Amino acid sequence: MKVHPAAWVALVVLFAAVIGLQMLQAEQQPLGLPAGVSANLLYVRSPEFLRRAALSFDALAGDIYWIRTVQHYGQTKLSKDPNKQYDLLFPLLDLTTSLDPYFDVAYKFGSVFLTEAFPLGASRPDQAIALLQKGLRARPDKWELAQELGFVYYWWLMDYESAADWFTRASEMTNAPNWLRPLAAVTLAQGGNRASSRTLWTEIARDADADWLRDQAKLRLTQLDAMDGIDLIERVVEQYRARTGSLPTSWAEMIRAGFLHSVPADPSGKPFRLDASTGKVTLDPTSPLNPLPDPDHRL
Amino acid sequence: MDAIRTEALTKHYKVGFWRPRPYLALDGLTLQVGQGEVFGFLGPNGAGKTTTLKLLMQLIYPTSGHAEILGKPVGDVGVRRRIGYLPEQPYFYDYLTAEELLEYFAGLFGFAAAERRRRATALLDEVGIGAERRLPLRKFSKGMLQRVGIAQAVINDPEVVFFDEPMSGLDPLGRREIRQLMLRLRDRGCTVFFSSHVLSDAETLCSRVAILANGRLVTAGRLSEMLAFQAHGWELVVSGLTDGALKQTQERGRITRATRLAEGRYALELPLTPPPEQTAAALIALGAALVSLTPVRDTLEDFFVRQVSGAAGSRFSESA
Amino acid sequence: MRVIAHVAVNVFKESVRDKILYNLVVFAVLLISTSYLIGELTAGQDVKIIKDLGLASISMFGLLIAVFIGIGLVWKEVEKRSIYTLLSKPIRRQEFLLGKYCGLVLTLIINVAVMTVAFYAVLAYMEVTSPVNIRASWPAPATDLAMLKAVALIMLELMLVTAIALFFSTFSSPFLSAMLTIAVWVIGHFNEDLRNYGATISSPVAASIARGVYYVVPNFAAFDVKLQVVHAQAVPLRYVAVTSVYGITYVAFVLLGAAIIFSKRDFK
Repeated sequence: MKVHPAAWVALVVLFAAVIGLQMLQAEQQPLGLPAGVSANLLYVRSPEFLRRAALSFDALAGDIYWIRTVQHYGQTKLSKDPNKQYDLLFPLLDLTTSLDPYFDVAYKFGSVFLTEAFPLGASRPDQAIALLQKGLRARPDKWELAQELGFVYYWWLMDYESAADWFTRASEMTNAPNWLRPLAAVTLAQGGNRASSRTLWTEIARDADADWLRDQAKLRLTQLDAMDGIDLIERVVEQYRARTGSLPTSWAEMIRAGFLHSVPADPSGKPFRLDASTGKVTLDPTSPLNPLPDPDHRL
Repeated sequence: MDAIRTEALTKHYKVGFWRPRPYLALDGLTLQVGQGEVFGFLGPNGAGKTTTLKLLMQLIYPTSGHAEILGKPVGDVGVRRRIGYLPEQPYFYDYLTAEELLEYFAGLFGFAAAERRRRATALLDEVGIGAERRLPLRKFSKGMLQRVGIAQAVINDPEVVFFDEPMSGLDPLGRREIRQLMLRLRDRGCTVFFSSHVLSDAETLCSRVAILANGRLVTAGRLSEMLAFQAHGWELVVSGLTDGALKQTQERGRITRATRLAEGRYALELPLTPPPEQTAAALIALGAALVSLTPVRDTLEDFFVRQVSGAAGSRFSESA
Repeated sequence: MRVIAHVAVNVFKESVRDKILYNLVVFAVLLISTSYLIGELTAGQDVKIIKDLGLASISMFGLLIAVFIGIGLVWKEVEKRSIYTLLSKPIRRQEFLLGKYCGLVLTLIINVAVMTVAFYAVLAYMEVTSPVNIRASWPAPATDLAMLKAVALIMLELMLVTAIALFFSTFSSPFLSAMLTIAVWVIGHFNEDLRNYGATISSPVAASIARGVYYVVPNFAAFDVKLQVVHAQAVPLRYVAVTSVYGITYVAFVLLGAAIIFSKRDFK
């Protein structure tokens, strides 16, 4: 039976209208939620209660909370609200891992994004530690959890004794890789150092099964490269001062004097900044590698 | 203008899920039905009768060919005001009562509330549904449903009605009533097109018939014409025939067969020639009395069987 | 038009005779008993809970009716063959479809209206029986009329779900139609997550697929303003207007699709 061509035209028009209106809606300001109402996302606060309430569907409920975790992170990250917080990240992860203690990726996600500095994360290493320790109680022989704990102490809290302790414990667990023991030793001996950091992040990058984790690790490694670069350039600046008796005022001067071939840039391509009064080299403020891990602890 | 006209109406179905084979349900049906006729659309089960009716109601679409009702192409909404349809084994909304169903359908024609009620009541009376009309249809027997079906088919005083196996599942009383109803419709000037595999109905009702088998039209025309040339003898019923007279006539080769009905009463089968009047006269001369003289024709059944078994063949094409 | 209305009224009659409206009794009982039970528990929070429960129930009951009657609307007539006689009358196939749709929408409107009245009645009772100081702590009055915006959008959501169920009903069996309709509804509710996927996954292909799906699948989450009205957050009229136009356009799109499919069908 032939359908009137006008019907097909109308169908296409309506489809376009639907998509158009949807786009219009997407641009609209989302409806406001009053403060504290985001807690509705949890619906429930107590993991114990939830586990019982979920009956035999713990793992599924765990999945749902995992989805909510990712959603919460994503929305908060994208939000332009100046008062945004990642306040639900830990509770959601806590619930997820209570429902499903074997949910490895949740622990990893927590250890990365709970510790990450605001605005990319919650800036709460303490919460990450709590999460990971809870994980270890459920799975005492999972070396990755111990290693991540060590990492939090190492990178964020700069507590090298605790870090070395956790790396040692991790190295003694089943299937632990053999780079953990020497790492523990070096950490104990030298505290924070760039080589150890590089090792850690390289292992994380190699091992990562999630894109976001691999991207994190790559970013860190690039930052370490940038810091190596800064150290190198600062040495050249020092050489310039030793030769000419004063600090250079710009890259152009150093190039003319033959100390550099071209304007030095960080691995992302942005040129470094020279502070003419102190001789210190820093990243360009628009560089995507900002902020660098604290340079003062000589990583 | 013909009431119904089809031209090379054809319908292919695709049968089977994985490798659909085309199944020819109807092959090039060309037919005319004049206004005011009672037309019997006959054929064995699966011949394509219901397919034809569905094509005429535009419940399905033809693969090729076309059809017209009252001069307008099938599917014209205006024409549907002037027709009625009763499908095979009808189902109606079982949560409605008979009255409500008829009023619902009447409403589709645009009749006002009072008119709907009037028609519903009148028709339910006519088809013989009494107090049951207030019961929900789920409580109706098959025969009653069939009657409701006829009522809804004529609720709009149609000029053409289409009945698909209207007698199916009815007891003899029911069949008789439906037959009478159909004749009443004819008397009102309505064209009645009905399909059936029960030939005796057609014999009593129809002026013209078409016979369908295996999706093809085998023959169509006036019933009397189709059967006329098949007459192959006479039946003479006499009384008061003595054994002697019987023997005498038999010896002269005038009688094909004699069946004794009672004392002296015989049903005699005579050949086509010599003319039966001669044999009758001879028997009367021998002392018998004439009771009846009727030509022996093929029944429609004999005719039908002969025609249908000739039209054999599979309707599945080789797979495409 | 007249024909469509005629069919619609018949659908409504069927739903009444199928005792669909008994759900209203269940709703009323649920709401009233809950309000009575929790009245003893949390002072001040009970109104919020009743509002949440009431709106959620209106939505859920409506959804169940929309899906489970919607999937049978066309299918039942075709399966039982009552459509044979119906289509031999002067009614176009599209008129039949629209009539069925409007009939179910009519049923839903009446359902939602009655539920809303019962809902407000319970809230009014709570308002009257609560002490003044408790009432002062509520962000909005118990019988806040702004909740009608939520109800209106719920009604639109139901109209869209009905259209989708009807669409599937024109060509697939009830079980499959139910699954598909529910699947579309679930995906449509997580629409917001689809939009944000780009933030958490780095595969650009997957992100653009997610974004594409976001634009095509009906955005049911947009019809859900229950949270806002219960917390007395403003729901601007512009939002209601845009969302309504979206809903109605989508309904028209789906119904047209259904009509096209339906008009091409052979009824074997």
